[in-house]
Amino acid sequence: MFKRTSLPYAFLVPTVSILLVLSLVPTIYAVVIALQDRELSQAGYSFIGFQNFIDLFSDRRFLNAVMVSVKWEVVTVLATMCVAISLGVALFEYTSTRLRNFYCLLFLVPVLLPRVSAAFVWKFAFHPLYGIATYPLRVITGMPVELLSNPHTALYVVAFVDVWQWGLLFAVIIVKLLETLPPQPLEAAKLDNAKGWQVHLYVALPMLRAPIISLMFVKMIESLRSFDLIYVMTRGGPGIATETLDMYAFAQGFIESGKVSYASSMAVLMMVATVVVFTLLWKRAQ
Amino acid sequence: MKLNRIIGHFFLAFAGFLAVFPLLWTALNAFKSNVDIISRDPKFIFTPTLENIAYVLGRHSVMTGLTNSIVACGTSVLIGIVLGLPAAYSIARYPNRWSADLQFFVLSIRFLPPVAVAIPLMVIWLQVGLYDHLIALVVTYSLLTISVTVWLAIPAFQQVPREIEEAAFVDGYGAYAVFWKIALPVAFRSLIGAVAFSFVLIWNEFLMALMLTSSNAKTLPIVASELSQQGMNVPWGVLNASVLLLSLPPLFFLGILSGFLSSVFTKGT
Repeated sequence: MFKRTSLPYAFLVPTVSILLVLSLVPTIYAVVIALQDRELSQAGYSFIGFQNFIDLFSDRRFLNAVMVSVKWEVVTVLATMCVAISLGVALFEYTSTRLRNFYCLLFLVPVLLPRVSAAFVWKFAFHPLYGIATYPLRVITGMPVELLSNPHTALYVVAFVDVWQWGLLFAVIIVKLLETLPPQPLEAAKLDNAKGWQVHLYVALPMLRAPIISLMFVKMIESLRSFDLIYVMTRGGPGIATETLDMYAFAQGFIESGKVSYASSMAVLMMVATVVVFTLLWKRAQ
Repeated sequence: MKLNRIIGHFFLAFAGFLAVFPLLWTALNAFKSNVDIISRDPKFIFTPTLENIAYVLGRHSVMTGLTNSIVACGTSVLIGIVLGLPAAYSIARYPNRWSADLQFFVLSIRFLPPVAVAIPLMVIWLQVGLYDHLIALVVTYSLLTISVTVWLAIPAFQQVPREIEEAAFVDGYGAYAVFWKIALPVAFRSLIGAVAFSFVLIWNEFLMALMLTSSNAKTLPIVASELSQQGMNVPWGVLNASVLLLSLPPLFFLGILSGFLSSVFTKGT
C-alpha cells in the first residue's frame, strides 16, 4: 500500500535540508566565533585557538555560573516531579470526572503564560513592601520581606515560579497516564489491604516508570531555558547568586563588555555538554 | 481514610487557587490606580479605572511590539505547518532506515541551548544586514516551529487508522491524494493542537527576540520586560495592564491544548 511513490522524497527532502541548514550554520559558526577574539565594539578580529576556553577555567564567575546552573537543574527537575506526582495522584484518588477536568484546566493556565508574564506576576507578588505573597509574612513579622534580594533565597523563589508552571502541567499529564492503567492490578492490591498511597507507590507508579522517565527527560531539557525567568526576576542578582550559564554568557556578550567570542565559547561548552548528556540519556532510555 | 480525603481535597484546592490567583490578581491590578496598588494591605474593593489599559493600548511601542509579535509568530507557525506536516506524515507512514535517526535529529534541535544559537545568529544577521529585522526573527523561529510541528504531528498521523488510508488506496487514490483528502482531515483535531503548541512556544519566546532585535523588530515580550525594568517610579498599573495584554493570546488556546493533551495521553502509548 504505502510503497513506490515519490512522496517520502518530496515531503522529507525540503524540510530536512532546511532544518539542517538552519541548525548547522549557527552551531558551526558558534564554534568558529569561539576560536576568535571578536568584540562588538571592534571591527577586526583574529583566530586565537583555544585561549577563550583556557581563560574560562580560571574565571571564577564562570565556575560560579556552572554551579548555579547545576543547582537550578537539580532543584527544578526534582521539585517539578514531586509536585506533579503528588498532585496527579491526589487528582486521581479524590476527584470525580467533572471536578478533575476542571482542575486540569486550571493547572494548564500557568504553563501557557509567557515566561516574562509569569516572572513579572511573581516578582510583584514577592515585592518586599506591596507583594501579595509576602503579605502574610509581613503581617506576622511586621517587617518588609526580602526574598528576591537575599542571595540565599533568590534562586529558590525563581525556581518556585518554574515549578509553578511545569509541575502543574505535569500533574495533568500524570493523571491522564494513571487513567490509562488497567484497573485490575490496583484493585488486587486494594483487596490485599494495601493503603491508598501504597497502591500508588508500589503498583501504579512503577507501571508508569517509562513515561515518568520521559517526562523527567523533557523537564531536564526545558529547565535549560531558565533565561527569561531569571532575566526579569533578578537579572542574575543579588550579586551573582542566580547567574546561570546563559545569563552570564548574555552578560559577557551584550551588557557588560560585548565580548562575543568569550560568550560564544561558554555557549559552545554548554552545547557540547547538553548534547552529549542528552544523547546518552536518550539512547539509554530507548 | 476520611482524613486523607480532606487533606487531599484541601491540597488540590490550594494548588488550583495558586494556579490562577496570581493572574487574576494581575488582572485586578490592571484596573487599579497606583495608590490602590501600593497599599500595605491588599485591596480587593476599589474604584476601577481604565487609564492603565488605555495608556498601554495607546503607546506606540506596545502597538509595534504587538504587530511584530503577530507577524513573526504567524509567519513562522505557517512555515512550520507547510514544511512540518508533510515531513511528519512521511515519517509516520513511510518509515525507512533513517526514520529513527531523523526523529532523533528533530528532537536534538531542542537540546541546543538558545544562547548557543542566538550569539552566532546575531553575528550572522549583523553581517548580512538583517539584524533587528523581522525576516531574521522569522527565519530563526522557523527552526523551532518546523521541528516542534514535526515532533508533535508524527503521533497525530500515526493515530489515524491505517485501514481508512488503505481503503482509499484501493479506491484508486494516489499517495498525495491520500495525504490531502484522508490523513489531513482525519488527523485535523490533533494537528490543531500541535500547531497551537508551536504558536504558544513562539509567542512566549524571549531570549532570541532579545538578542536579535534592538528597536524596530522588538516583540511584545521584550517591550513588556522593558516596561518592568523602569526605575523607582514604576507605573505598576500600566505594567500589570501590559502583562495582561501579553498573557491573553496564549490563554485563548487553553481548551485546544487541554484536548490535545487528553488525545495524546489516552489513545497513545
